[in-house]
Amino acid sequence: MPLLHIVDGKAVASGKRTILARLASFLANPFVSAWQHRDLIDAILRRELAERFQGSAAGWVWAITAPLLSLVVYTVAFSGGPVTLPGGGKSGSPFDYALFIFGGLIAFNLFTEMAYRAPSLLHEYAHFIKQTIFPADMLPIISTLRATFYATIGLVLMLIAQLVLTGTLHLTVLLLPLWFVPFVAFLIGLTWILSAAGAFTRDTAYLMMTVAPLLMFATPVFFSTDTFSPTLKLIFYVNILTGFIEILRYLVVFGQIPDLWVCLWVLFCSLATFYFGFWFFGKQRDSIADVI
Amino acid sequence: MSSESEVVIRARHLSKAYRLYANEQQWMKQVLFGSWRTYYRSFWALKDISFEVRRGESVGILGRNGCGKSTLLQIVCGMLRPTGGEIWVNGRIAPVLALGGTFDAESTGRQNVLIGGAVLGLKRHEILARMESIADFASIGDFINQPVKLYSAGMRMRLAFAICAHIDPEILVVDEALAVGDAAFQRKCMDWIDNFRKRGTLLFVSHATGEVVRLCDHALWIDDGRVRARGDTADVARAYGKALRVEHDDMKRFSAV
Repeated sequence: MPLLHIVDGKAVASGKRTILARLASFLANPFVSAWQHRDLIDAILRRELAERFQGSAAGWVWAITAPLLSLVVYTVAFSGGPVTLPGGGKSGSPFDYALFIFGGLIAFNLFTEMAYRAPSLLHEYAHFIKQTIFPADMLPIISTLRATFYATIGLVLMLIAQLVLTGTLHLTVLLLPLWFVPFVAFLIGLTWILSAAGAFTRDTAYLMMTVAPLLMFATPVFFSTDTFSPTLKLIFYVNILTGFIEILRYLVVFGQIPDLWVCLWVLFCSLATFYFGFWFFGKQRDSIADVI
Repeated sequence: MSSESEVVIRARHLSKAYRLYANEQQWMKQVLFGSWRTYYRSFWALKDISFEVRRGESVGILGRNGCGKSTLLQIVCGMLRPTGGEIWVNGRIAPVLALGGTFDAESTGRQNVLIGGAVLGLKRHEILARMESIADFASIGDFINQPVKLYSAGMRMRLAFAICAHIDPEILVVDEALAVGDAAFQRKCMDWIDNFRKRGTLLFVSHATGEVVRLCDHALWIDDGRVRARGDTADVARAYGKALRVEHDDMKRFSAV
């Protein structure tokens, strides 16, 4: 089988396949491709992780200091005694509200980091894309993994803080991976879309810089949607982040199993974004090398 | 001469058009209303290119700046997709295009070898196993542990070529990579390429005839997106050199003013 066979701008597929087989291979494609390029992903991810604090003497201390400091600030600022928690109703400790906000910010900041970086991502790696045989669709995966790595530090700090401050960790924390994987899938999908669009026009970056700060107020970071009327609540859930943030709080702060419908909605959104992003990037891929 | 099955690269009537927009607004209009009108001018970098390369052959590609050489190579390597025509490649291909340009300035030489090797398709343990040999080939001494931003152009090129020399490709694509190195290192690279020719297929691109004549059995002269001449390297190089002198005369005419 030839390595490369293109006729009139279209890759020649090997043999005819049924619709079902094509669907299956489309669904498996992102994973197969990531597995094939695992050594490249590994090499660039190492570079990216090292690069973040290159030239700083304290290095990794910064990665822990920043989230730790904000956690301390929230704890001091928002712990005025036992509050009625916006979500779970019962508040065991005065620190719950600080953790409530910190949890929301971990998810939201991870989202904004990707939203800001994605549009310029392919420009950063333009020399790779133009001059080497480079799987550009792996870049969004790499940069999301890198951002996720730092968010994980925040999440671990949050769990430690909860254990220290309130003395307990809820059993539902064990379900966190089930939240984490769809969230990362959603972000990778989003980064595929934004980076492909960003390759063509810088307007994508300006759009994100304008929209992301506003989105903070359309996302329940500092409040909860539980007190809202059902209609308003539904409108809030159109913002996919709402679901992710609420589920995170339910699992970590309240120690409850979130609503099944919320979980299903979030799962659906994350899978839809992931596969749409992959499809969209693949469609734009050949023009990307021309314009970048 | 050889049977059809030995062809590793086949190009038939390849063409490549770039879309040129007057400004960003035109691009946006094309995205929105492209089905009704076109808002760009087409620039045909390649117009009609057909050639075949068989396993074990060394083919030189000659041509002046902007004639479409690099576009053609990028298509052969799969970085760009042709607008029309057919391209068929069979075998692991390694481009020694401007690999040095992909180096990350902040990372050390070793880190860049790891990334460069991974980009060219090597496994991590394979790269680590060849690291000393790569450092040895590049012979840039202790600089291998320094950030690449401290390298001279020649040192970058040395490291880049050293990586390419260690990846065992079936088809090697060399694009004027040797222009920067000093004579001794150029000879080292040439010797290596000479050796490689016994095992693999070589596609060698240059605007200088000397290296092409030395390394290649066949040559292809590309001018303005078309194949202007092909065949025995010496014949093509002679015709190309003649055409170059005409252009050279033009330049003299300008410098006299």
